[in-house]
Amino acid sequence: MARIHLLPDYLASQIAAGEVVERPASVVKELVENALDAGGREIEIQLEHGGKSRIQVADDGSGMGRDDALLAFDRHATSKILTFDDLERVATLGFRGEALASIASVARVEMTTAEQPGDGHRVSIEGGRVRGVEPYARPRGTTFDVRSLFFNVPARRKFLKSPQTELRRCLEVVQGYALARPDVRFLVLHEGRNLLDVLPAGATGPRERIGQIFGTELAGRLVAIPEVSEAGRGGERISGFLGDPETARGRRQLVFVNRRLLRDRAVLAAFYRAVREEWRSEDFPALFLFLDIPPEDVDVNVHPQKAEVRFRDPGLIDRVYDAFRRGLERARGEEPAPLRPPVSEPYVPFAWQGLGQMTQPEAWRRGATTDLPVQVTGASTSSWSPPERLAAASYAPVERPMVPLSGRHGEARPFRLLGQYKGTLILLEGPDGLYLIDQHVAHERILYERLRRSLLAETTPVQHLLTPLFLEVAPDEHLRLLELAPALDHCGFGLAPLSGNTLGVTAVPAVLGSAEAEALLRTLAHEDHEGAAAEDLRRRILEALAASLACKAAVKMHHPLAPQEMESLVAELFTAEQPYACPHGRPVVLQMSDADLERRFGRR
Amino acid sequence: MEIRLNRKEFLDELSPMQGIVERKTTIPVLSHLLLTAREDKLHLAATDLDVSLTSWCDAEVKREGGIAVQAKKLVEIIRSLTGEEVLLTQEESRELTIRAGRSRFKIHGLSPDDFPTLPAVDDGGNVPIPFADFRRMIGKILFAVSAEESRFQLNGALLKLKAGAVEMVATDGHRLALVESRLEGGTGDDAVLVPRKALQELTRLEGEGKLEYRRGEHHLSFRLGRRELICRILEGTFPDYERVIAKDNDKKLLFERKTLSEAVQRVALLTGDRARAVRLQFAPEQMVISAANPDLGEATEEVGCDYDGPEFKVGINPDYLSHFLSAVDTERIRLELKDENTQCVAYPFEGQDIRYLCVIMPMRI
Repeated sequence: MARIHLLPDYLASQIAAGEVVERPASVVKELVENALDAGGREIEIQLEHGGKSRIQVADDGSGMGRDDALLAFDRHATSKILTFDDLERVATLGFRGEALASIASVARVEMTTAEQPGDGHRVSIEGGRVRGVEPYARPRGTTFDVRSLFFNVPARRKFLKSPQTELRRCLEVVQGYALARPDVRFLVLHEGRNLLDVLPAGATGPRERIGQIFGTELAGRLVAIPEVSEAGRGGERISGFLGDPETARGRRQLVFVNRRLLRDRAVLAAFYRAVREEWRSEDFPALFLFLDIPPEDVDVNVHPQKAEVRFRDPGLIDRVYDAFRRGLERARGEEPAPLRPPVSEPYVPFAWQGLGQMTQPEAWRRGATTDLPVQVTGASTSSWSPPERLAAASYAPVERPMVPLSGRHGEARPFRLLGQYKGTLILLEGPDGLYLIDQHVAHERILYERLRRSLLAETTPVQHLLTPLFLEVAPDEHLRLLELAPALDHCGFGLAPLSGNTLGVTAVPAVLGSAEAEALLRTLAHEDHEGAAAEDLRRRILEALAASLACKAAVKMHHPLAPQEMESLVAELFTAEQPYACPHGRPVVLQMSDADLERRFGRR
Repeated sequence: MEIRLNRKEFLDELSPMQGIVERKTTIPVLSHLLLTAREDKLHLAATDLDVSLTSWCDAEVKREGGIAVQAKKLVEIIRSLTGEEVLLTQEESRELTIRAGRSRFKIHGLSPDDFPTLPAVDDGGNVPIPFADFRRMIGKILFAVSAEESRFQLNGALLKLKAGAVEMVATDGHRLALVESRLEGGTGDDAVLVPRKALQELTRLEGEGKLEYRRGEHHLSFRLGRRELICRILEGTFPDYERVIAKDNDKKLLFERKTLSEAVQRVALLTGDRARAVRLQFAPEQMVISAANPDLGEATEEVGCDYDGPEFKVGINPDYLSHFLSAVDTERIRLELKDENTQCVAYPFEGQDIRYLCVIMPMRI
């Protein structure tokens, strides 16, 4: 018997469907794109059971005639491209002709459509097979009614999350298009409850739409990115909004390319770089970037769900970066210019800046040099000599026995402390090489583990608030936070839904300030962590807190340490659970092996 | 300029200026004082752009003129000098010579043109408030003003003028303090947010008599004798505070203020520095304060009180309690509570104000 055989058509369709249709949100995405491509000005999305039992998307767009309506569900049936050349310049949102066929193969679909009011058709399809076509009177436009998604693919159905989670993802999708198209009205209803209703925004367009979704507080804090539009580049246009530094508390950064919400790493990396350069800060404000580029300059056909694109012009990112810099300059410069003179020292992104500056070393000034393993000759024991002289001083090493520093597992480690380099690195001689330890990061690691242990062991006191803290969030964030509410309560956050998309925070963990509490909630609101068990959430919150406290409390660079201090630091580091990296992932220890050193000195 | 003036009088006017001047400013001129000799006076001014203070002292002016000089050094110099008189002369526009006895200082200054123009509050109606009362009221609520910048509208206190009374309220979202005192001849119904720094500096103004309060469009003016403090009005909506003052707390306890205050501070020694919380356990005639911290250990203290209700317990930030206990000026105080999740309200027992109270939100331990 032949082992290779052709798949039956319906099975092939279902496999293909898997690429496009993963969950209710992907259906919503495809149908909303179709509605927008059809020129809809008002799009209504109705969901049931998080979209698992029903998704209905209705538009007032161009509609279809009878033949088109039937053909629409065939694979690779599309009105959007005709030739391969067309593929090179896709201007519509959908184009592959896969979406409807895919959806129809895994759900019960009913479509009503009319090109002219009253003169329409109804097509019903189940598992990819047309069940019936009949005339149907309706206004102009198209309505898709998708029921029992994955009714014939139990394996996929099993992978769907809770209705709240699926619903939140659907909302995320609609919000994305609503932001990209402020001229269109979007309405989302879940089991009759109105979750989102944004009217076509007026003259202020995108900003007004952002306010409708994320709240007017955020919209008021936005600064327009100086628009770059170049006729010479086929109508390339860079526009959008940036938040002021206040919006850096856990807000989102959203990038739209040709009115499509994308996760583009290159653009975001440029944004982070621009913030670091322009603000010298790691606090990234809200971002809404709209990139409109000629269709032929962007390849959208690289991701089945069109979530990523490829830019043909490598210079584009540089132009976007420049626009970010100018926007960030505006967003920060709220005060009149003379009040904030520019900082003149050059920015060094890495932590080693100003390695030459040292503070006065306590131990040396105290005249404790007799016990030092390393003596600085030429330097007086009672007064501090400046670093220049230290650098020139010759070392007279005092022979000191190997310190058997014992490790966590009890084994003795024959390390010998050599000294400190520029008040920043601890140098150790090990059995197999030279070890460099970053004292700040090492201490941070030790403190982090200690704090983490005690924070997790303690019951964290909760401060009830006299007046609630108001948190204006987007509809999907609102859902997400309410979903997390029981787990958050366990962590000490009291949440109460107020009007619209405003939440009232009625209690916070007493270890957090209200600004920190707000930032944490905002971050949690748009993070997508599955299985937000109360205990996990609590651990994450406390770990984040421990990391930030540890960093603040740890001994800084350019801080000379006495040998005893260094020894105890190293000894404690060796007993740490994870001695090689700080909580933020930076390395603690660098090793230069004997072999390495020999090679560099040409002995090998 | 060329003037002669009394050193002591000059120093008295310089001292309150120090608090206004920004120590860590990026704008050099803000660490300076503006000195202007005009007619028979030396005028002084200090500002941090939000709060400004002006004053003057008598001087024998031979030649008028002005200069901005570094505040801290000027105060140090005038304080260190001996003799009754000081001579200030300005040979060049950016240099001030100070002479007294056998000493002579020549200090560099900045042009008066670099000094910000101070806002003026138009002469509208002014409300005279006895300064002693006003200062006492600030002391009773200042601790509850928020230091967190994220809720800027709480970085000040609400000043409310009523018929025959004046009220001040401050809250940081965790607790709230309210004081209301009689004000003779007080009229009208006016409420305004006064920033924290202005309140602090107002308490440092020395003097007797009445404070003249005036409200302009964006600024407030407080004049006490020759000194005038002008501050920007804090914009924002203050919470609806009457709503959070619990009226139906049925558990009422009476304490000796000093005993309670000392006990709270002792037990608070064993609370962590990240989250401060003590437990209050109430039983008839007695309250037990306790704190436990896994790193440090435990502390307990019994405090006698006048109470005959049921046993219950509540968690609270000891600092919030201490702040009230230090600000209140009566021998005994009253706590009113309902349960472990709702507001605890502290009152003085038989105080002189019309109303003084501090609402503290409890903690879940």
